[in-house]
Amino acid sequence: MSISLALFSPPTQPLPLFSSSPSKPHLTVKPHLSLRPSKFLTTTKASAENGAGTSPSAATALEIQPDQKVAETPRQVVQKGESSVGANGSAGAVEIEEDNVLSQFMDPKWVGGTWDLSQFQKDGKTDWDAVIDAEARRRKWLEGNPETSSNDAPIVFDTSIIPWWAWIKRFHLPEAELLNGRAAMIGFFMAYLVDSLTGVGLVDQMGNFFCKTLLFIAVVGVLLIRKNEDLENLKKLLDETTFYDKQWQATWQDEKPGSSKN
Amino acid sequence: MASVALKSFVGLRQQASTEKPHYFFTSQSQTKPPRKLKFQVLASKSSPRLTNRNLRVAVIGGGPAGGAAAETLAKGGIETYLIERKMDNCKPCGGAIPLCMVGEFDLPLDIIDRRVTKMKMISPSNVAVDIGQTLKPHEYIGMVRREVLDAYLRERAKTNGAEVINGLFLKMDVPKDGVSPYVLHYNGFDGKVGGVGEKRTLEVDAVIGADGANSRVAKAIDAGDYDYAIAFQERIKIPDDKMAYYEDLAEMYVGDDVSPDFYGWVFPKCDHVAVGTGTVTHKGDIKKFQLATRKRAKDKILGGKIIRVEAHPIPEHPRPRRLLGRVALVGDAAGYVTKCSGEGIYFAAKSGRMCAEAIIEGSENGKRMVDERDLRKYLEKWDKTYWPTYKVLDVLQKVFYRSNPAREAFVEMCADEYVQKMTFDSYLYKTVAPGNPLQDLKLAVNTIGSLVRANALKKEMDKLSV
Repeated sequence: MSISLALFSPPTQPLPLFSSSPSKPHLTVKPHLSLRPSKFLTTTKASAENGAGTSPSAATALEIQPDQKVAETPRQVVQKGESSVGANGSAGAVEIEEDNVLSQFMDPKWVGGTWDLSQFQKDGKTDWDAVIDAEARRRKWLEGNPETSSNDAPIVFDTSIIPWWAWIKRFHLPEAELLNGRAAMIGFFMAYLVDSLTGVGLVDQMGNFFCKTLLFIAVVGVLLIRKNEDLENLKKLLDETTFYDKQWQATWQDEKPGSSKN
Repeated sequence: MASVALKSFVGLRQQASTEKPHYFFTSQSQTKPPRKLKFQVLASKSSPRLTNRNLRVAVIGGGPAGGAAAETLAKGGIETYLIERKMDNCKPCGGAIPLCMVGEFDLPLDIIDRRVTKMKMISPSNVAVDIGQTLKPHEYIGMVRREVLDAYLRERAKTNGAEVINGLFLKMDVPKDGVSPYVLHYNGFDGKVGGVGEKRTLEVDAVIGADGANSRVAKAIDAGDYDYAIAFQERIKIPDDKMAYYEDLAEMYVGDDVSPDFYGWVFPKCDHVAVGTGTVTHKGDIKKFQLATRKRAKDKILGGKIIRVEAHPIPEHPRPRRLLGRVALVGDAAGYVTKCSGEGIYFAAKSGRMCAEAIIEGSENGKRMVDERDLRKYLEKWDKTYWPTYKVLDVLQKVFYRSNPAREAFVEMCADEYVQKMTFDSYLYKTVAPGNPLQDLKLAVNTIGSLVRANALKKEMDKLSV
């Protein structure tokens, strides 16, 4: 593992380039989002409006029909029986109405449910970093504005089309330096410690099973515990994985004292 | 996280090698206990013989668990009473049953309203994956109406000789020794509608509690509580042209907006769709999640009218105590609902039957008294047979319903045909066919890849907000 890490480390220099270049698209794309709200409305909602005319007045109509006349139609979603939902619903309904205006993710590079890679070309190659940025922005946006799923316009973008080295370059390399350094230091002191305690030299340690295990633990430890909080998280994870087992086994643990009592 | 995912798939394989389905107690009465237990289980051939009468068993609750238990008991020559509060009770429930249930419980095909052959999973970023592609022509997920299924199972129990009592179970007196009867108190309705009913008592030798999440039997034996998820569901009648889309298709929505720890669904019912969502951790926000689910499905249910709103609890894990003395819990009362998919009908019916079989065996077809050891065999067999299934689903839920990136990875993973095949095989037949190790490895690598990618994106998203 450490060898492979080392192999990746040389190209760390170009990194600043990568981190600075994606910030430019930020600036250029964002305005698009806010500047053109009304334009795409017509394209996406055309089909929906056909259905709008059919049951506009029904009190129990499920959904506010999306149309542009937000201000003059105070139609509300009203549910049967439950006033609290009614209140929520109406508040939500207004909201729905409002973000209908923006409820479809829009970006000039987002074409037909995927990122148009031809618009991400840079020096004749696809700028994957920009794709990652764009997708992160899209997901961020979707978190705030969940979008209606549609059969007519399926999302076909799949993150696996971004090659693995693009991910490594972006997410692993910035950390690789630190991890390699840490692993080297720990390795050196462990070797030193073992040598001083047992008298087994560095070369002999390599042939020793115990030392190999130690090496393995050190590498895994460096990878898993990157920050102090990681230790806590790992502990929590362990508890979590055994929690369900405990819940199930309660029947059997309860048995012993129970049966002796009866 | 990654290592957890890996482990889960190893678990799946182990299960395949150890678990063999046993549907009839006769074929495997002499299996070894699943884990090292402190006490020795002996067949209670020493228990006293009953004279002049057969063993009397009361089944409280007439759902799938109660119906299946009563039928099996009655067939086994035991004097069976089935107490049900409301004969046409229409429990709010997804109503999906696996294919193997039709065969195992010999269900007539006309109680299945719809045969779902396509399942759509929709990720937080709206990537939709159809996960029914590997189904063979005769395979489907059955959608039933609970009132129909329950009534059918009760009716069959009745035909086999069980006495079905329309009454509301109140409480029971637990005897001090091992032979005196349990005295059940209930309000008998006798088909009267709206009346309070008249107070009656019933003496039985053993009790099967199949009375659901708010089980009074469980209270009577101090069985403890379980965490539960709340499921909220609206039945929505949608226009015919929209309904055509849901002809044989069910949808699952995942995402933080829809539910922080479960999924939102659109299930086709007989002539409408059920749109709902569930959660354990944020019960107070359930209405918000429901709204979000509706919004995510908006295009497809546009113009629909809500005809019914319902909510019900879903157990998260078994009760701390599932039997005491001659009282055993089955179905929802015991807490047999899987995580991840939230499936319970099949397991309820199966546990009812398994418990009944244990009683029949212990009593030698009703000739002897039973005791706790006989009933405990049911628990043992249950845990041995189904524990791996529950555990795997628990792991899946913990890994993949954890966060939005994990859900994205889940949906990506479900696009794989091998995953679909494995999922459906294990869902429809409740057995895990041995997989191909190479495929498993590929799957594990791909899944970890998906998880890593999605989480990397998440990191980037967090940076954006700052």
